[in-house]
Amino acid sequence: MALDRKIAYIDLATGEIEVKPIPLDVRRKFLGGRGLDAYLLLNHSKKGCDPLGPDNPLIVSGGILTATCASATARTHVMAKSPLTGLLGSCNMGGFFAPEMAWAGFHHLVIKGKAEKPSYIYIHNGEIQIRDAKDIWGKTTTDAQWAIRDELNDQEVKSLVIGPAGENLVVFANVMTGIKNAGGRTGMGAVMGSKNLKAIACRGTMDIKIAHPVEALEYNKHFIDQITSAKVNKTQGTLGTPFIWGATNSWGGVRTRNFQYNQCEYADDIEPEAIDEICEDTMGPYHMSGCFGCQVHCRAQYRIPSGPLKGKYDEGPEYTSQGAFGGETDTPRAETVLVGNHLVNQYGMDNLETGSLISWAMELYEKGILTSKDTDGLDLKFGNDEAVLEMIERICFRKGKVADALANGGIPASKTFGKNSFDYLIQVKGMSNLHSDERATPGLALNIATSSRGSDHLRSRPAIDLYHLPEKVLKKIYSSPIPYDGPLSSEHTEYIGKAWQVFWQENCYMGVDCLGICKYHTTFLGATLPNFEDWPKVLYYNTGLEFTPEELWDIAERCNMVERLFNLREGLTRDDLEKGDMINHRYFDEPTRRGAPDVVGTTIDREKFSKMIDEFYEHKGLDQKGKPTTKTLKRLGLANEPSHML
Amino acid sequence: MAVDTNKLSSAESLSKTRTYGKFRCHNPTCMGRLEPKPGDKHVKCPVCTCEFRVAWIRPDFPRIRGPVWEVNKKLADAAFKKKMEGK
Repeated sequence: MALDRKIAYIDLATGEIEVKPIPLDVRRKFLGGRGLDAYLLLNHSKKGCDPLGPDNPLIVSGGILTATCASATARTHVMAKSPLTGLLGSCNMGGFFAPEMAWAGFHHLVIKGKAEKPSYIYIHNGEIQIRDAKDIWGKTTTDAQWAIRDELNDQEVKSLVIGPAGENLVVFANVMTGIKNAGGRTGMGAVMGSKNLKAIACRGTMDIKIAHPVEALEYNKHFIDQITSAKVNKTQGTLGTPFIWGATNSWGGVRTRNFQYNQCEYADDIEPEAIDEICEDTMGPYHMSGCFGCQVHCRAQYRIPSGPLKGKYDEGPEYTSQGAFGGETDTPRAETVLVGNHLVNQYGMDNLETGSLISWAMELYEKGILTSKDTDGLDLKFGNDEAVLEMIERICFRKGKVADALANGGIPASKTFGKNSFDYLIQVKGMSNLHSDERATPGLALNIATSSRGSDHLRSRPAIDLYHLPEKVLKKIYSSPIPYDGPLSSEHTEYIGKAWQVFWQENCYMGVDCLGICKYHTTFLGATLPNFEDWPKVLYYNTGLEFTPEELWDIAERCNMVERLFNLREGLTRDDLEKGDMINHRYFDEPTRRGAPDVVGTTIDREKFSKMIDEFYEHKGLDQKGKPTTKTLKRLGLANEPSHML
Repeated sequence: MAVDTNKLSSAESLSKTRTYGKFRCHNPTCMGRLEPKPGDKHVKCPVCTCEFRVAWIRPDFPRIRGPVWEVNKKLADAAFKKKMEGK
């Protein structure tokens, strides 16, 4: 059964490996994937541990449905204490790694210690080896994967790797698999680098038994139809995720020039249709591909069309690269976006963090807080395409004062740069914002403020809030499986009911992350995609486990609370701009200047925002300081954590 | 397990209300329903007068490609000026 997959505890310092089953009662409390990882992290890390030290456990997993007949169970999750934020570190990526790990016998790895020399882990049909990585260390993410395949003489091996950025302990280094599948937030690549761990390679041909295979396949046809018929997924399959950036830019929801503007005007060159043309010109008409078991195919393939790197192959760009290397830096040119995307993929760096920090440095340069003396003569002005690409390389290899400081993350860099540089840093809990501008969308502002891994759109964003759905439709979505009788508003500029939407989405996203399914297959960008009511059937047919929608909601809520407990243990407080549920003062003080007529001139209302936080805490069962009440912990079965069941 | 495959979930039942060929104006409080004619490259919102460039995912499935910059920029500048005067 899928439930036979095990946990391996690997100590890189001693070479000891211990394999344990995952008891059913643990599955019923935390399911798998991110939820179970959070439980493992809370139980296997000590308060205040050094994120780049040997005691920080690195946890790698697939979801409970990974490698089953269910659709799009491709997601790999990685968790540890973050070297970027000092709080929860967590990233999630598509590709083919997690299914291969499941076929090799494992759903979760807990990796501790530091290897004496560069190493990689090889897992093959239940066997685990720690191998020498001296010939792989220093290679880019793609070259490292090909080298591992050659060394193992098996072209079917799937690897999770770090690039030079992870080796250089850039605190927002990615974990990567495939060409562009990036575990790209909170610096899990740096945690791997700190352990001298270049890669985890898997090859598996073990059987995964499905509880009710005929019914599972039959139901999956229905599930696939639900997923592929959604308008949002038809658009994704044609244009990839760039359509999201294009649509958001159209009404004025993207950051430009760090946070000075909320729209990148005349960005026609990086609009999704323009990028799609380049993909078609360089790769032909069938340039969209997908992850394991997914029918959406949102991943574009391209070759760089011009310039010094002309002809280099890569995948994407995701909407995040459009924002990072097009909008934020005010360099809306396709070549810059495609080259920037290529560099961060190969170096293994988070595109969001990289672009955000470069654009922040550009604003500091514009304001005279940084000078050309600091940048070793580099003209770090907005709109300078060459400076953007040069800075990516400098950060990866820690060249020069500014880039080296940025490689340590925004908050430490602000202490290096001094003056009032911190005022301009657009971050939450130490992690830079996505390229989006949330001043006109209070619900989205609440989402980034309270997200468990720092400013983030993939933890609780009510993205369908932007569709102006009628209230009766919102009611239908947001009052199931738990009844909700409060108000909801169709307008994304409103504050009404947004706290509930964020709470609902937080549990929904935790649900898919426990299952191991992609967020494009749930209520993220589309209102008609599967969620709590649909998941029990998929779970039952594939694993035999029976849950009601309400029980799955409870599990998701419990897992989110475990993440909260970890963050509270590591110093989270409500209003602290460095470690709290708080957003930069510019959200409250600087009105938006661009976008649709109803968007311009908006700020987040400080009082209403604070009230939204109060409401959100109330929904979660937290007190006004953001700590769970005794009653809440008891209700969620977390009164005795850490409980060390595993 | 008593899996009721005949009962539609909320998400499934909402998909029955899906419409192709239309989209909403990108001006948040306007929410006008826009329905470009097949092949149209531009559409103007009859409610708030914003204009958008249109792209077609397939012949019956349009999307907003982006604003008509000159038009919407002028509307936004006027709105910004008015709002700032009121503050």
